[in-house]
Amino acid sequence: MSQFKKLIIEPLRKTNPVTVLVLGICSCLAVTAQLKPALVMGASVTVVTALSNFIISLLRKGIPSRIRIIVQLVVVATLVILIDQFLKAFAYDVSKQLSVYVGLIITNCIIMGRLEAFALSHGPWESFLDGLGNGLGYSLILIIVAFFRELFGSGTLLGFQVIPQSFYEAGYMNNGLMILPPMALIIVGVIIWIQRTRNPEMQENNQK
Amino acid sequence: MKRDINSNGYIFLYATVLVVVVAALLTAAVLYFHPFQERNEKNEKRINILRAAGIPDVNKDNAAKLFEQHCTASFLLDENGNSNEDGTLPLFVIDRKISVIPMKGNGLWGPISGYLAIAADGSTIVGANFDHKSETPGLGGEITTEKFQSQFNGKPIKENGQLVPIEFDAITGATKTSNGVKEMIDRTLKMYAPFFEKLNP
Repeated sequence: MSQFKKLIIEPLRKTNPVTVLVLGICSCLAVTAQLKPALVMGASVTVVTALSNFIISLLRKGIPSRIRIIVQLVVVATLVILIDQFLKAFAYDVSKQLSVYVGLIITNCIIMGRLEAFALSHGPWESFLDGLGNGLGYSLILIIVAFFRELFGSGTLLGFQVIPQSFYEAGYMNNGLMILPPMALIIVGVIIWIQRTRNPEMQENNQK
Repeated sequence: MKRDINSNGYIFLYATVLVVVVAALLTAAVLYFHPFQERNEKNEKRINILRAAGIPDVNKDNAAKLFEQHCTASFLLDENGNSNEDGTLPLFVIDRKISVIPMKGNGLWGPISGYLAIAADGSTIVGANFDHKSETPGLGGEITTEKFQSQFNGKPIKENGQLVPIEFDAITGATKTSNGVKEMIDRTLKMYAPFFEKLNP
């Protein structure tokens, strides 16, 4: 039981896919200008990582290792397109929200990374949990980054104004740099810094 | 007999079977879902037209009924602004007075589209509505928000009988998308100008 718990909890902290493995950075800077897209993207990636981990794990004994990356990509792409088509037919509003992310989900390095590193060598149920955990770890960072970018970049959270008008009248201004992609990298960098300061065992020893 | 999963024969067989299975699965899914998707897209179009024209409380359930109620005519225009079956410019008339015209243009990553509602005098915008395929959420994607769209309400498209370029507040960090919106509106209005000329002689 504790092992399953570990598969879900650890990726939120010490094996976080974004801050420790440094995967999925590209989508992290693309969708974190606001909180809402970050939530949608986090949820989508979590679902796809968990399901593709599960499927690849089921197939793992028959996949020829020389074409395994192609097989993984085919499975992930099929899964994402199927879900997208389904949503377009029966949940059009959700699919409109998601449309932009579909391409980003397929190419997300975390999905491929987990398939390679975990699903090919573990059972389906463990792989499913690992996918879930890593998806959640990714979502967590996305939400933190989006929180700061939307708050300081637009003065809103989830589209609601949170910085009062009186601040603006007193001369406060939204930080335009927050809206631009580089700020996402800077915030991720700060998160990594804080995380490593608090966990000294994560620091590499560079002295010989 | 133990099969060798790294032999060339097995790899070819595996790849072929996988691709055929996936292709069949996707084809079946697309064929099965297509009618539902088409209905959704048609509904979406009606919602956008009604919203641009300022009809309140439009949602996906009442769109078909409201559209029938409010859309009093729809026809194609030729380049001289006359109703013509072979025309290429569609126009929807809402409540016998507001003309709604579709627009198509380019954003940063892909196509953008929208509807512009023009008042009966042919010289003022009553509402605008934008949509996009792949603009960045939070940046270019903001063109679909009420905040961006409502600034077009009441903007004049003509001054002293001459078409004027529309001015609006662009989106910070989404210059290309904003430019795309401007180009799309100005170009579309130019194409429809002869028709609006007739509305306001």
